[in-house]
Amino acid sequence: MTVFLQRIEDSLEHLVANGKLVEQALTGMQGSYVELLTILAVGLLACLPVLLPRRGRQWMRHLNQAVAFFIFVLVVYTCMGVFGMLRNLIRGVNEIGHENILALYFCSMPVTIFVTSMIFGPSFCGWTCPTGALQELVAAIFGRRRGAAAQTGRWRPWLMAGTTAAVFLLGVAYLTQTRILFHEDSGIYWSEVLIAILFLVAWRRSVWDRPLRKLRLVSLLVILLAAIAGWQITSPVHFTFAKVWDPASALATLVVILASLSVPHAWCRYLCPWREVIRWAAGHSVRRIESVPSACQHCGKCSSVCRLDAIRDGAVDRAECHLCLRCVDNCPASAIRVVDRWRAEP
Amino acid sequence: MIVHRLIVTALALACCEQCLPGAITFDASGLATAVGADQYWPSQRCGPGGAACVHAASSQPIEEWHFRSLGKGIYQKGVAVWASPAVAVVGGRPLVFVGGCDHTMHALDLLAKQRLWFKVTNGAIRDAAVVGEVAGRAAVIWGSSDRFVYAHDAATGQPLWSRELVAATATQGDVDVAAPLVHDGIVYVACFVYDKAFATNRQQAILSALDAATGTVFWSQAIDTGPVNAPAGREIDGRFVLFLAARKGLVRALAVSRQGPSPLWTFQMPHEVLASPAVEPDGVAPAVFLGSKFGDLIAIDARTGVQRWRRMTGNWVDNNACVTRLNGENVVFVGSYDRCVYALRASDGGELWRRRLGSEVFSAPSVFQVAGQMRVAVACLDNHLVVLDAAGGAVETCYYVGEPQWDSISKGETLWSSPAVLQAGDATVLIHGSYDGVVYVLPLRASVLEVSPWRPWQIWVEMAAVLVLFCAAATIVRLRQLGHRQRPVASRY
Repeated sequence: MTVFLQRIEDSLEHLVANGKLVEQALTGMQGSYVELLTILAVGLLACLPVLLPRRGRQWMRHLNQAVAFFIFVLVVYTCMGVFGMLRNLIRGVNEIGHENILALYFCSMPVTIFVTSMIFGPSFCGWTCPTGALQELVAAIFGRRRGAAAQTGRWRPWLMAGTTAAVFLLGVAYLTQTRILFHEDSGIYWSEVLIAILFLVAWRRSVWDRPLRKLRLVSLLVILLAAIAGWQITSPVHFTFAKVWDPASALATLVVILASLSVPHAWCRYLCPWREVIRWAAGHSVRRIESVPSACQHCGKCSSVCRLDAIRDGAVDRAECHLCLRCVDNCPASAIRVVDRWRAEP
Repeated sequence: MIVHRLIVTALALACCEQCLPGAITFDASGLATAVGADQYWPSQRCGPGGAACVHAASSQPIEEWHFRSLGKGIYQKGVAVWASPAVAVVGGRPLVFVGGCDHTMHALDLLAKQRLWFKVTNGAIRDAAVVGEVAGRAAVIWGSSDRFVYAHDAATGQPLWSRELVAATATQGDVDVAAPLVHDGIVYVACFVYDKAFATNRQQAILSALDAATGTVFWSQAIDTGPVNAPAGREIDGRFVLFLAARKGLVRALAVSRQGPSPLWTFQMPHEVLASPAVEPDGVAPAVFLGSKFGDLIAIDARTGVQRWRRMTGNWVDNNACVTRLNGENVVFVGSYDRCVYALRASDGGELWRRRLGSEVFSAPSVFQVAGQMRVAVACLDNHLVVLDAAGGAVETCYYVGEPQWDSISKGETLWSSPAVLQAGDATVLIHGSYDGVVYVLPLRASVLEVSPWRPWQIWVEMAAVLVLFCAAATIVRLRQLGHRQRPVASRY
């Protein structure tokens, strides 16, 4: 078994490690690693939802996600995953006034996402985020539409949770035998909690789904405290961003993928710390989704297409919305629409 | 320049743990002969094999110590925070000599856990110091980017001599002085002088032979037009032979003596070489081992310069290999940027084991013995110092040695410091000048590093604790939810 797993790891390592198409940061500012391309890419990809017409918008969104995945995974170096961005933000803030170029380097990515979320809403989550795109892609290929777990009987969620747990435990056992795990590898604790969540949701999804989403805040606080303490914890999908092979992150990614087959966007729903930041920014954003209750036909189409259960009877829960605009595109009565609320001039 | 020197001196005085009056103190607190007879460090990695290990008898354990020096500098390609340390037992006291980007050579007393003396130079110290016997006493000799080679009394820090390797010119750039090599009262030192007035093909690397007692230059000869790495050397057929690798990949063997160098052979490596050669310290048909940016490790016959075997790794081999005796045969250890440490048979390059670590292995390996077992220590870019079982490659333990203090570093352009070992029974310690600005002195008692033992079951215990915490949080959330449901009306009014 160990030999078999070793071969899998070797294959993954050869596939992923050193997978960057460029040896050094593109458009890096002179003498530093501030990647202007990262900032430009995130900014442009966040702006796109504003520019696109309703027709064919979902295809464009998937294209947008694919381009973002390509850029983040194969080209840019600054993006270090959801945990890394928060860690970088702390480091960058500490460098302001001392090493401003380093401050710019560390803050560029998180600040760009934060600012675009304040303006364009949580479009980063729905249109750009590689982790979200990966979950959506896997669910689209292997899973069914939203509510697949509920619609295919009570055994499926338990089976998925059990399978995910088995894969995870096997992976951890393998890692403990082949390498030393550092505190950087603490991402496996997030995987463990995600699996525990899967079991709870499999048990009573209607009861646990909403309250467990508060764990995002706990996740955020833990990551911030770790960053302040100087601990570097790598997040799921981090291994695809880095040039260094990170098996613990790869295992965490595998768990996120399997979890997304059971609960759509499981990582984003329950544990993504960056989602909590974006939620706050998007709550104050200029661009937002609003529903018109008088026009709503209560057909339920919007809630059936929303993969995050962020809309019910035409009412949008903005704290959970990823601004994927599926509900807008699928509403037959145009009762849900995107509005830009700029503050009026005094 | 004087102002700069004053500033650096003031900073060194201000920032170090022990601010010493003048440059020299010596704490004669009865610790002498605690570790054993005097042992020196005559070349960059101690000996031709590059094991980077000094042996001594033990009687008193050495405690863990983190020596901090200057704070942040400005990142400069090729300048490590610390050069590799040199370890020596001088007058029965275990001492570490380490220089770095702070322009200062520090002499650290491991038993007293204090800096014994320091010497500020006018340039960064890019490569290791060496310790050899000069006129009956131990001398530490090192080169600095200020074009000088310095020799100081190892125990007291008293200056013995300093020698300017090349005369200053108005158009001169950095001078890259490699680690010296001391043999038979002669100091061999290679340096590369970059002069902006010259075309690239007229830049010069110079090999010099100095009298270890006085610093008098016996001879000095231009050997290349690019940077050269520190020499390794051993006696072959009654002659002392130096093996020098130029950064461009040309390896030279020179029979050297007081009279001058005599070229023996050259060998062109397939790509750029940042490392110094490792030479089999024993045997009648020794081989030279060297890795390159092409990712291969090549064994060259030390007598003829003919390639014996060649072994590819998955990525660059930037630092020195190390060859040592293990289970009756010579084994070559080398770290690669493919994140692996390799143990290869020196005779034919056959792989004994390969161990993948957390990140790129940038350091040269150190090989030593603890509790009767051979171990290998390497440093990785995952910011850990890892100790492996030399026989099987199993990871024994590791120690976190901090993140690079410079954020804008680029992989593969600087040779960061490699670990060194004082092997003295219970007093065995691993010394590593990390790129976080700290020199770590880590005791190696029994079979594992005492400071950070790794046990695979730890992760299961921690995961169980996380699960318990999660269950407790979920229960609280559920109870609060039930509580809210039971009193909605009352709370509203």
